[in-house]
Amino acid sequence: MVDINQRKLKDVDWLLLAAPIALTAFGCVAISSSAPDGSFVKKQIISLGIGLAIAIAIMFTDYRKIVFNIAPFFYAAVLVLLVVVLVAGTQINGNKAWLRVAGFSLQPSEFAKAATILMLARHLAHVRQTSLSIKDIIIMGAIVLAPVILVYAEHDTGTTLTFGAILATFYFLGGMRKIFLAAGAVAVVVGLVAAYPHLKHYQQERINVIIHPEEADPKGYGYQTIQSVIAVGSGGVLGKGIGHGTQGKLGFLPFAWTDFIGAVIAEETGLAGVLLMMVLYLLLIWRLIAVAKASRERAGSLLVMGFVGLIAFHILCNLGMVVAMMPIMGIPLPLMSYGGTAVMAMFIGVGLALSVRMRRFVN
Amino acid sequence: MYLIQYLVLAVFIALGIRFYVLQVARHEDYQARAENNRIRDIPIPAPRGAILDRYENVLVDNSSAFNVVVIPEDISNKDETINALVGNVNVDRGELLAALNDPLRPKSQPILIKQNASAADRQWIAAHELEHPEISIEEQPQRIYKYGKLASHLLGYIGQVNPKQLELPAFKDAGYKSGDIIGQGGIEAVYDRVLRGKDGMRRVIVDSRGIPKAELERIDPIKGQDLIITLDLDIQKIAEQQFYSKNETGACVALNPQNGEILAMVSVPSFDPNVFARNVVSTENRKEVAAIVNDPSHPMYNKAIQGTYPTGSTWKIMMATAALEEGVITLKNSRIVCGGGIQVGNRFVHCGKNHGQPDIHLAIVHSCDGYFYRLGLKMGVDMIHDWVMRFGMGQRTGVDLPGELKGTIPSREWKKRVNPRDPVWKDFDTVLASIGQGSVAVPPIQLLRAESGIVMGGQFHIPHLFKEAKATQMKEVEYYDDRATELKLTQLTIDTIDYGMWGVVNEGGTAGGVGFPREINAGGKTGTAQVIAKEKARGKEHKDHSWFISFAPMHTDQKPEIGVVCITENGGWGASASAPKVKMIEAAYFSKKLGRPILPELVALNSPPSPAVTGSANGPHPVAVADRKRKPVTQ
Repeated sequence: MVDINQRKLKDVDWLLLAAPIALTAFGCVAISSSAPDGSFVKKQIISLGIGLAIAIAIMFTDYRKIVFNIAPFFYAAVLVLLVVVLVAGTQINGNKAWLRVAGFSLQPSEFAKAATILMLARHLAHVRQTSLSIKDIIIMGAIVLAPVILVYAEHDTGTTLTFGAILATFYFLGGMRKIFLAAGAVAVVVGLVAAYPHLKHYQQERINVIIHPEEADPKGYGYQTIQSVIAVGSGGVLGKGIGHGTQGKLGFLPFAWTDFIGAVIAEETGLAGVLLMMVLYLLLIWRLIAVAKASRERAGSLLVMGFVGLIAFHILCNLGMVVAMMPIMGIPLPLMSYGGTAVMAMFIGVGLALSVRMRRFVN
Repeated sequence: MYLIQYLVLAVFIALGIRFYVLQVARHEDYQARAENNRIRDIPIPAPRGAILDRYENVLVDNSSAFNVVVIPEDISNKDETINALVGNVNVDRGELLAALNDPLRPKSQPILIKQNASAADRQWIAAHELEHPEISIEEQPQRIYKYGKLASHLLGYIGQVNPKQLELPAFKDAGYKSGDIIGQGGIEAVYDRVLRGKDGMRRVIVDSRGIPKAELERIDPIKGQDLIITLDLDIQKIAEQQFYSKNETGACVALNPQNGEILAMVSVPSFDPNVFARNVVSTENRKEVAAIVNDPSHPMYNKAIQGTYPTGSTWKIMMATAALEEGVITLKNSRIVCGGGIQVGNRFVHCGKNHGQPDIHLAIVHSCDGYFYRLGLKMGVDMIHDWVMRFGMGQRTGVDLPGELKGTIPSREWKKRVNPRDPVWKDFDTVLASIGQGSVAVPPIQLLRAESGIVMGGQFHIPHLFKEAKATQMKEVEYYDDRATELKLTQLTIDTIDYGMWGVVNEGGTAGGVGFPREINAGGKTGTAQVIAKEKARGKEHKDHSWFISFAPMHTDQKPEIGVVCITENGGWGASASAPKVKMIEAAYFSKKLGRPILPELVALNSPPSPAVTGSANGPHPVAVADRKRKPVTQ
């Protein structure tokens, strides 16, 4: 299965490997500046190492075996972990989403995202028609529904929404009729508007802060968004310098090393740093899309595009939240936010993409 | 595929633009906001209103104290802060931890750590301002009770509101919060809302290091209203001195029966309220406070309103009034046998001596128990109870002080309820009740109000201390709203009682030998309250309590302008211990009124009475002269 071929080493897309490493490293810099103590950076680096190892291992594996043979077991295992989390999990910041294993905290919902993408790609790979049948739509919905229910029970709204985005991506990729997509989009919007009055107070406040920033209570739930914007804005073009961010460092900005890492980057490295970060992300996405286009069959390209959708959604939501264009939803910035499991899950995707690329020529 | 590419690109561009907007276009604005991220409101305590006596002598006032405060938000290293405070500013570690960990304190407000910081403390704090921005000095007005123990019960004291008080709805509505210093006990508590002004506020910008950079807004505090109370400082001093100079305990109240204004109120033993108002967070002070609170003689108890005693013979005034009004005796036919006492069932209840067959006047003047035993049996307990209640006995007078007790006036229902083993009211009980012994137990102020009303001809005023609250920028002046209760009494009854009481003092009655200056035309009634067995626990002798209640002038064409009640614990006979005190108090009052020097000795007053009412050479306001010829006309 794992077959290391000297020839193939030349074929590795080094940019595709380098971009996520660079992003993670950049993230570590920001974490070291804003996290309460040094252990956070250390853990992140360890996660990077593990992720790299996983990615390389996957790279040398035939992705098809993973998608078609291993994915269901992976998916089942993840579901089991999610149930375990609900029963015996640790609660951090109101979300019971973590499992404590040997001194490390594992967040199974991150793996769930990867597993779901694999399963959806697996299913869709066999579909021959150009547009999705109702049966397919329902099956794909069910694949997503299982983890969603468990994740929702953890009170993790952000991750729940992410699954929705994954499903939407695959519907789109699967060739769902445009009219359905449009109807779906409208339904989502209508649903959000209808759901607003039923949202909890703090959730409503987070939305209000975006729409009416002047009215927000600076000491209420809009606090994080306002602080984030202040942090970003005060960074200027060149930033205050690494380690010199006042908002993130002094605790004005909560969760500066996780959800709001983007604000720390903005504050300490300024617009320059932000643009650099965006370039790195675009690089990553570009290389991923290139792999998807070059893939020799559907499974590969579906798989990679699924990850592209995932990454793009995360970036949109997270950076949007940091600059108060989106309400706070608890969605991390891929590779940069502190979170070992998320990093590893990302590198699973990178590894898969590398594997796809390696096997793009029909033998 | 391409769609996704373009979508992603579009999103990134949108984000990029937004970042640009924030970081370049609006950069200065956010930079400024980052700097100014903390606004803190620092309260400026309002000076509390002063308490003045009726002539505006200052009794309670404020002076500046410097307090050490800690702002919890600014603490970067809790242990360092604690060590710094304990080591350099002499704060008790345990108390400091308790204060810092108090969950009820609002987090952004300064926590009071030590009151009355010494100059050395202040210097250290100023010198270490940069290292410890969380420790600072706050100036606070401090309450000074100028005369220490004097009138402490009625003045009260101040202290921090305690958690149990905060739970009461009255306190919550008033807007008190943890850490507030409020009046506790006495006038300070009852009129807290008048005395406390409105705190001001300094709105400052604090940078991320906790150092105030600029003041945004300042609202000056508004001082509380000064309170003028009806107390006369000179009279109070003399009254207190009467007890302390003889090392006696008890209580005494002096008031003006025409309007209920209290001129003096004494309860001995007493305490110094400065102990409470001073240093609230130190072990030393805790000991001082504990010494007062745990003192077995209960110095904080205001015996004038909280001490209940049998009235003894002072009760007879009320008996006589009731009997006359009901017609049980009439002026023409008021003679009853004394008999040296009375036989009730198996027991013979004694009178002091055998008075023969006195009329009502002599019965009062010589305090004949036998007379009143028989009178009581004629009246019956229900009539006695009914009338006594009309005079206000067994009920609170409504004086503006906290903790007043109702006292106990026995009745049939009362005995049935309280004494299930012997529930039926017997003649023996009536006999005892007729002379104010047995289960009668009332606070001195209640007795004073009741008999003040009688001598005022049925006009019962509420004893009070509040006279005037001065105006401030925020509040207008307030005066006391005097409302009297009217009880219809016949003039004949009033005159009889009036003459009888005057006779006690001036016709060789039970207070005849005390030496009241004739000029004053005092009248009164002696009383001796029998000591109940529980006094044994105190290790004192079983000496009875000595009562004297008096009004002046009486038996003239003017209404009395001063009424005094005094009880000396374990003082023995009424005349021996309490009457002399009352004599001094009344003499002082009239000396002051006449513009003469107030002397404990009565040399100046013992001059022979002037014959004429007007044009006296002695002063502007001659005291009314007794009209011996004016006796009640018999019908």
